[in-house]
Amino acid sequence: MSKKKYLKDKWLYLVIGVCIYFVILLILLAFKVNIQATISISLIYFIGIFLILTVEYVRKAAFYSDFKKKLEALDQKYLIVEMLEDPNFLEGKILVDSLYEIDKSMIEKINEYKMQTHDFREYVELWIHEVKLPVSSLTLMVHNHKGEQNKKLLEQLSRLDKYLEQILYYVRSENAEKDYLIKRVNLAKVISNVALKNKDILLEKNIDFIVSDVNVVVQTDSKWLEFMVNQIIDNSIKYSKNKNAYIKIVAKEEKDRVGLIIYDNGIGISKSDLPRVFDKTFTGINGRSLSSKSTGMGLYLCRELCNKLGHKIQIVSQEGEYTKVTIFIYKNNFYHLEDD
Amino acid sequence: MAKIKIIEDDLSIANELKNLLENAGYEALITEDFSTVLEQVTSGNFDLILLDINLPKINGEVLLQQIRKDTNTPIIMVTSKNSEVDEVLSMSYGADDYITKPYNPTILLLRIGAVLKRSGRSVEKLSYRELEVIPQKGILEREQAEIILTKNEMIIFLYLLQNIGNIVTRDELMTDLWNNDEYINDNALTVNISRLRSKLKGIGYENAIETRKGQGYILHE
Repeated sequence: MSKKKYLKDKWLYLVIGVCIYFVILLILLAFKVNIQATISISLIYFIGIFLILTVEYVRKAAFYSDFKKKLEALDQKYLIVEMLEDPNFLEGKILVDSLYEIDKSMIEKINEYKMQTHDFREYVELWIHEVKLPVSSLTLMVHNHKGEQNKKLLEQLSRLDKYLEQILYYVRSENAEKDYLIKRVNLAKVISNVALKNKDILLEKNIDFIVSDVNVVVQTDSKWLEFMVNQIIDNSIKYSKNKNAYIKIVAKEEKDRVGLIIYDNGIGISKSDLPRVFDKTFTGINGRSLSSKSTGMGLYLCRELCNKLGHKIQIVSQEGEYTKVTIFIYKNNFYHLEDD
Repeated sequence: MAKIKIIEDDLSIANELKNLLENAGYEALITEDFSTVLEQVTSGNFDLILLDINLPKINGEVLLQQIRKDTNTPIIMVTSKNSEVDEVLSMSYGADDYITKPYNPTILLLRIGAVLKRSGRSVEKLSYRELEVIPQKGILEREQAEIILTKNEMIIFLYLLQNIGNIVTRDELMTDLWNNDEYINDNALTVNISRLRSKLKGIGYENAIETRKGQGYILHE
């Protein structure tokens, strides 16, 4: 609160003060009060106004400049209420009380939404588990009653399951609660599970699946990692070429991290699309031009989950040549380890 | 014949599961009354239990702990709950394996077979005609003769041997191979089978493996 701004704010009072002064002056002149008395009264009058303004300025300036400084320093602005000292003037008190009320009602509203989101999330999770039952049932039925359409049916069921997994992990990734468990996991086991999940389509599309040196133990949530690798492999399959297609998986152990590399000789990603592949719902040229549409969620989810687990994901590609995705899993001792 | 108890409240799944297990040569029982499930299990003398987590009247994880108090019957959790926490919890309560729905039925059978084998409840036939099968060395042996098999050939041979006299589909063989981290393609499977066949032929077992067109293979006794 600068003095200039303060005075500008008080211009009306000043104008009234000056007007009253002129009235007083006229009365003094009318009663023919002598000149010394007139000057004295004028001086006292203006000193009085000056004192009143100064006292008010000092009281308010201290409070408001403190207020502004704290507000600027705060990351979560609404916490300002907790930091203010009690002002010693009426307006300040009204302000602080109002802020308190406003904050309270906002927090109540947010909690209401939080509860709603929480309930919704719980319902979605429950729903996903429910839907998995008919999917399992259908899978078993298809297996038990062998027919010509078997392969096609299983393919569609596996698609259904993939979409279910995607929404499940979307819900999990959006959630602030800790929903994962870091423990020692052998990468070979994760790769094996992903391989079995994709076996049929890999064989059908004649894509060679080459795995080497993955017998490495890392610290991660195996289910989350499995989901991520599954998404990446899914892309590799989707964007594979028709001839001599292969997917190579290898783990490279470095000093402070392990890099899980998934390399395919597919159609690759164009230079312009590459920086945006991790964006939510981004489906570049590849995603739009293929018959089986891309949701643009796979890689986004991979990065979200990686961030949560403290891993890093990196993608390198040459259009028409290859795509190479690496998940870096860091070694450190902060995690509490549980043995398999 | 191993006796398997299915504790699953979704009737459609339970019945299909029973069907699957019976086709694979097991005796399977589904659960109808969930209030007495613990007594059914403890008095039933089962070789294996397939246990779901979301059950009416009782939580599968709680049931698992109660069963473990009385018996060491192998238990495989079969559930749609697929978080690491659930799995770690179940394993710490004494489950032998944890499989999430929806699962590949062939893999479920392989895992059941593995758990039964570990618990010593399935007597696996490890000889074929006059041959003694030694998987860990990768050889088939008889007096004055020996065949050396590669890892893939051994996996295929063992699977055929377990299903001796029955048709084994290429898909089953493929699943078993991939389940053992051998990610081979269709051509390689064909090559492996013909090599296995010629190795058997070399020791005098001609036509031991018969090809059924469009269906699969049979290992003859």
